[in-house]
Amino acid sequence: MAEKSYIPKYEFRMFGQSFPELEKQITANALQTGEQKMNDVYLLTAADNENNVKIRGGKMDMKVLEETLQGLERWAPYMIGDFPLDVEVIKSTVFPALGIPAPAFSRNEYLLTQFLNELVYHDPDLFVAHTSKTRKEFEFNGCELEITDVTINSACIKTICIESENWEKVLETKKIFNISSAQENINYPTALKRIMGLVEIPGMWQSIKQ
Amino acid sequence: MAKEELKIGEVSKPRFEFRTFGRDFEEAAYLMSRLSVPVPEKVWERTSEEIYIVSKTNDINNTKVRDGKMDIKTFVQEKDGLEQWNPLMKAEFPIGADVLKNEVYPAFKVAVPEFDKDTYTFEEFMEMVKSNPDLLAVKVEKQRFGYMVNDTICEVANVWINGAMVVTVNSESTELDDIKKTIADLGLEGVENINYLQAIKRIVGWIDKPLAN
Repeated sequence: MAEKSYIPKYEFRMFGQSFPELEKQITANALQTGEQKMNDVYLLTAADNENNVKIRGGKMDMKVLEETLQGLERWAPYMIGDFPLDVEVIKSTVFPALGIPAPAFSRNEYLLTQFLNELVYHDPDLFVAHTSKTRKEFEFNGCELEITDVTINSACIKTICIESENWEKVLETKKIFNISSAQENINYPTALKRIMGLVEIPGMWQSIKQ
Repeated sequence: MAKEELKIGEVSKPRFEFRTFGRDFEEAAYLMSRLSVPVPEKVWERTSEEIYIVSKTNDINNTKVRDGKMDIKTFVQEKDGLEQWNPLMKAEFPIGADVLKNEVYPAFKVAVPEFDKDTYTFEEFMEMVKSNPDLLAVKVEKQRFGYMVNDTICEVANVWINGAMVVTVNSESTELDDIKKTIADLGLEGVENINYLQAIKRIVGWIDKPLAN
């Protein structure tokens, strides 16, 4: 069930509608190593901020925030499970990671459709973000970079990420690409929660009020 | 009966509306721009920031804050797949507790809270909204481009819902046949009619259904 082959990396990620200058710099200077399309289903609650719980390629894929350092985050995978998932795993790992109580279970194991239809969609504390990603991957200065167009429940946003096992390399790369130290590092769960209204967008009301 | 001449930006009889949301309406937007008669410069491009307040228990009242005013429209009827909405009320902040009690909260279709003040500022009202788990305040930024096709008021707009972008196209008029012709002329036949409340609820995950594309 558990896999630990992936080495956790320090990550700096930003979300926004467009980063034209930064994109131009990355595509001009970094080596593009690939492009991937993927569909992920994120499971979100207002309760938890330290677990990233998603379904990718028909598998339950979970990461936990291990460390924050110099404004960077290091996320480590701790469960990649194939469906059907054993009810004990759902009860003891998935729901605790979501930060909400586990529901009553009527099966010993759950296929993906059963998991979604019977446990997720009816839970008022659980929210689903269907995402489609087109991810361009790059290498530069000992870091992996990505520029990704994401649709979240059909709405569009862009994310750029710099990651490496070496946190100093991430900071150095940020500096090379003139990314301000004031630029917020936003992980996927936080970005999705802001769009879905599970957490407030910083400064949300400032420009609206009289 | 003679048709009422529609003028963009002016009050008319309640209009029927076709609106849809998705990621890409490039073709419809192109056709709209080519088929449109000239429109007043003031509607060529308009931008606004609004707060929509969606309620888990309400699909018939469109409740939003725009230009410092609470603005509510209510669903009147659906005919041939087109929706008719009517303005219900507008009230400026600070807003009276009696208005919140008798008009705003009933429109949300949630329990009316206790009010311990006579009036509420925008910030105080937002705190009340935040404290109710059945309500959600959603930041909506719009960049709207206005047109007039087949005597219907049309727009194509980029809309940012809590920062994530979608595109909407619409056609509205008091005359059903004019809207239907416009839908056909814009290549939108068979495309789902999705109003703002529905689009927002789908994006925030309250309704598990995709937009039109």
